[in-house]
Amino acid sequence: MTATKKQMNYSFYPGCSLHASGREYDISTRAAFKALNVGLKDVPNWFCCGATPAHNVDELLSLSLCAKNLNLAEEVEGELAVACAACFSRLKTTQHHLKADDNKRKQVEIAIDGPAALGKPVKHILEILARDFGLAKLEENVKKPLMGLKVACYYGCLLTRPPGVPDLDDCEDPSIMEDILRALGAEPVKWSHRMECCGANFTLSRPGVVLRLSGAILESAQLAGADCIMVACPLCHSNLDVRQASIEDKSRIDYDTPIFYVTQLVALALGVAGNKLGFESVIVDPRPLLTKKQLL
Amino acid sequence: MHLSNETMNVGFVKKVEALSGSSVRRCFQCGKCSAGCPMSAFMEHPPNRVVRLLQLGQGERVLAGRSIWYCASCETCSTRCPNKVDLASIMDALRKLSWDADGPSKESYVQLANRLFIENIRTYGRQYELRLGAAFNMKSGQFLKDLMLGPKLLSKGKLKMFHSKNKNIAAIEGIFKRIEEMRKKGEAL
Repeated sequence: MTATKKQMNYSFYPGCSLHASGREYDISTRAAFKALNVGLKDVPNWFCCGATPAHNVDELLSLSLCAKNLNLAEEVEGELAVACAACFSRLKTTQHHLKADDNKRKQVEIAIDGPAALGKPVKHILEILARDFGLAKLEENVKKPLMGLKVACYYGCLLTRPPGVPDLDDCEDPSIMEDILRALGAEPVKWSHRMECCGANFTLSRPGVVLRLSGAILESAQLAGADCIMVACPLCHSNLDVRQASIEDKSRIDYDTPIFYVTQLVALALGVAGNKLGFESVIVDPRPLLTKKQLL
Repeated sequence: MHLSNETMNVGFVKKVEALSGSSVRRCFQCGKCSAGCPMSAFMEHPPNRVVRLLQLGQGERVLAGRSIWYCASCETCSTRCPNKVDLASIMDALRKLSWDADGPSKESYVQLANRLFIENIRTYGRQYELRLGAAFNMKSGQFLKDLMLGPKLLSKGKLKMFHSKNKNIAAIEGIFKRIEEMRKKGEAL
């Protein structure tokens, strides 16, 4: 593709969480992209990708739901931007499997009653920010550097694993979140738990699992001296934020660790007003920390 | 364990390999999968032992336990296996076989959550989180679970009281129906 000065435009698959429990991820993603003058247009009438429960028990259903959504994405111009790590993982996995396995693709095409369109690149917003837009340009656009903010970047499972599928960054030692943070002027901390599982969708069936796994993540971030944790997945956010009070009760450790979506910090550094980024929706209120660091 | 043609179910293992697209025979029991597994503490058979039991044709013993339902699908095992055994996909395949057989698994809460989540897709198109939580509490008999969380999340705008059906609901129903038909005709696993 030739370089032009044309505005960058993407089609956008928000996913179910961004319309409910992760609403501040939706708000801040749109705010950050608007501040960078990058267009986002929603896929019309997109529906659930099936997430973990569908592939857990029915791979064909999972692939078919994603394939139909990928077909819907063809109705909008531009590569497909995805914010939720789980939707991103499922859509990429579907493309990967259907390209590699003719038999699976044929079955899926029967299920969705038509050909599967697999050509549109699916991109997580992290790679759009860091690579398509570019770290240098991102840094140029920073109006309010996040000076003095120590952040634990939390990747979780689905952004980078398994090898060759999401293809976002190194499976065991990624750096894309830290790179973005440095461009914003913040300070990423070194810590042990950035790739560990938060307990994922056991939050509904077996919340005890989440208390234990997410508790270890909060503890590790605190020991590393982080002021806060940055995530790019609504389920990770919910487990670390909404379940934090129960984790504190159980472990008898006070964390009071705000959990940010990457786009909240990006938009804040780009000069978007702090009252337009959904901070009021977060359970562990991040505003006292941001006020202390003179960022609000 | 006495191993013989009578006590080994090799057909089951072949099904697992077909569904997952991964060999179980390549595993040489280094244990890296279990070392990295965040959930192994909750399992009676950690991941490497699940594979070993499969190698020995003991699929029924795996399905009878709760291990497969305590896998978080974090993909750490598949990422680290030196022999490219895709254990996360093997777990998917095992759960599907257990699910289809309505098997004797001891773990009902995870299966209930999966069932309700998938029903939600078929009924609404997009997840209706409030209904998902409420239905889980009703059907699992844990009426007070996370009771204080609901109002808090509603007041923060994180849960929606009402939910409309997706415009593609007919297309979604078509997907479910056609998959059911394919399976009835034996055209898909």
